[in-house]
Amino acid sequence: MLRVTATILATVGSLLVASAAQADSLRVGTECTYAPFNYRTADGDLTGYDVDVAREVGKRIGADIEFVCQEWDGMIPALLANKFDLIVASMSITEKRLKQIDFSAPYRVSIGQFVARKDAGLALFNADGSVNPAGFEGIRVGLERSSTYEEWMKAKVPDAEIVYYDGNEPMYLDLAAGRVDAIMTNPMKAYLKFLSDEGNKDFDVVGPQIEEVEYFGIGVGVGMRQGQEDLKGQIDTALKGMTEDGTLNEFSLRYFPFPIYPQQWAGTN
Amino acid sequence: MVSVVGWIDDYLWGTLVILGVYGVALVLCILWGLLGAAARLFGPRWLQPLVSLYVTVFRGTPELLILLIFYFGSAVTLTAIGQALDPDIRYLDIPPFWAGALAISFIAGAYLTEIFRAAFLGVDPGSIEAARALGLKPLPLFFLVRAPQMWRIALPGFGNQAISLIKDTALISVVGLEEIMFTAEMAISVTQEPFVMYMVVAFIYLALTTVITSVLRRLERRANRFQEVR
Repeated sequence: MLRVTATILATVGSLLVASAAQADSLRVGTECTYAPFNYRTADGDLTGYDVDVAREVGKRIGADIEFVCQEWDGMIPALLANKFDLIVASMSITEKRLKQIDFSAPYRVSIGQFVARKDAGLALFNADGSVNPAGFEGIRVGLERSSTYEEWMKAKVPDAEIVYYDGNEPMYLDLAAGRVDAIMTNPMKAYLKFLSDEGNKDFDVVGPQIEEVEYFGIGVGVGMRQGQEDLKGQIDTALKGMTEDGTLNEFSLRYFPFPIYPQQWAGTN
Repeated sequence: MVSVVGWIDDYLWGTLVILGVYGVALVLCILWGLLGAAARLFGPRWLQPLVSLYVTVFRGTPELLILLIFYFGSAVTLTAIGQALDPDIRYLDIPPFWAGALAISFIAGAYLTEIFRAAFLGVDPGSIEAARALGLKPLPLFFLVRAPQMWRIALPGFGNQAISLIKDTALISVVGLEEIMFTAEMAISVTQEPFVMYMVVAFIYLALTTVITSVLRRLERRANRFQEVR
């Protein structure tokens, strides 16, 4: 009977995954299904911008990184339930989320940018990067209805002629067909769904990436349970180093032809 | 369709994971069903409300919800218990495979409790009386007279449950188990071909349920081999 009990206990014990107090291993929750930020290749390797960032942060703070695949809807509950220690899953820093969890400084920006035909000769911006309202005269700009881009356009170029769309796909089609002269959108999306397509090689981004926090948000950060100031400090220091020594630039260029990290170290939030 | 080729090994691996979950859950749910039915039929009175509660809760709540409660609830509860015993423990957890297999086995077990109980009560009382009249002791009576008739009654209901159980395995992708639904999600994220990738999943499930159905048909034929009228 004792032996049976011991066997049962051993079996139950082997079902559990336990860890002692060492902080030198960190479990990172990510979706594993969100290319090109976190996804698995057909060879089974986990890769993407988020994954690269998480591995590099782990290397810099001296922690082994172990990835846990988690569906998006359960991401924050799983973090709070201790299924993993960090979220590195392209999660934007928002007021609402900050009530539940802490975020590191952003490692990816939320940006807007114009896309147009390369030979259109648009002068939407001045040489110093400021908006040139005169450049918008006589052109039609496409953007998504009630998006952050609409707010930006109305604030910066109130007289521009705007064509509204309910989704990105019809907007790309109209741009390709010449029904609008330029569109304003998220350049990462535009690259993945439109610019990277061989048939659209006559199009490109126009003007600078617009990184205005009051319109587009702070960006994407590493999520963690609240009250871990030491860990947050370590991660922020690692991200600061990666921003300044060009590591994040290198990671960006693996997946996009342009940088997708905050060009200026914005400090911790 | 060419895009599927690179993912075939992932789908095969995912299929093995599903079969693993299915095997564990099938054995466990039969166990829960037998225990539940036995408790309902012969258990002491104090046990009745507990079995009743078990059947009501697991039959009456969405399967996805039970799965999520098992997965998230187990981590919170086990970690709290673990830290009470040993403050050095950072976390205790059940991996998705076991959380998923346990959750769906408890759900199927609740249905099987009722199926097995009904089968026990459905045995023709005349044959039991006849066996008693012939002087059979309770144990031989159960194995020679009751059990062979019981499983004939239970098989169709059990079969439905066995097929439903394999489909429940598709739910477990939500807690991050890398089975074929999960493989499909990963493949879609890279190839942008949802239709093709979901069709592969549908095909695999159809193949599995076809095999299970044919096994069940054989079992039913064997159980009914003494019946003259089919």
